[in-house]
Amino acid sequence: MASRPKLSGIQKQALALYRGFLRTARLKAPEERRRIESVVSAEFRGNARDVDRRNFVYIEYLLRRGKRQLEQLRNPDVTGLATLEAKK
Amino acid sequence: MAAAALRPAILRRIRLFPSPSLPLAAAAAASHPHALARWLARPMSSHDAHLSREEVVDRVLDVLKSHPKVDPAKVNPEAHFEKDLGLDSLDTVEVVMAIEEEFKLEIPDLEADKIDSLPLAIEYVANHPMAG
Repeated sequence: MASRPKLSGIQKQALALYRGFLRTARLKAPEERRRIESVVSAEFRGNARDVDRRNFVYIEYLLRRGKRQLEQLRNPDVTGLATLEAKK
Repeated sequence: MAAAALRPAILRRIRLFPSPSLPLAAAAAASHPHALARWLARPMSSHDAHLSREEVVDRVLDVLKSHPKVDPAKVNPEAHFEKDLGLDSLDTVEVVMAIEEEFKLEIPDLEADKIDSLPLAIEYVANHPMAG
């Protein structure tokens, strides 16, 4: 893991999505921000650990789902994580 | 012509507003005389206010040390995030975002993906004209 030279395209997408969530979390109230960060971080780490890295179909699905959820979270009226917490 | 006719009307209107802001400015100048002097000495320049390299290094080190997964004793200006500090790619995203926040920057994805060590992070911030 430590010295993988370059990130693959799909890895970059996942990291960009993670960055997108963290950026969006910054725009929320501090307490909400912390909750969003901890939920999102747990979700990404859980999937990084549990999902087979060759299972592209499933990873693509997770990326699409994540983008949709990020879209919702970007709405300034949305503060909650109900949709994020409900899954799994 | 029409403009000439409008002028007095506009001036009358404008005159209504300046007075309330003046006492505020005076109060601000009284409590921060140096801030005002500094501002007057170099109006609109962000260049003079640029950070020194030592300051950039110190603050980047501090950001790294405060990340929950990082052992502060291992942090040095040459450290690599993964190899030396044991961070994974998600941690690296968090660290780079924390550096953004510390220096009030927004690093585009393409650049952010390349920053995987302290030397690169320090280089990026030190060369960024808007780092504050």
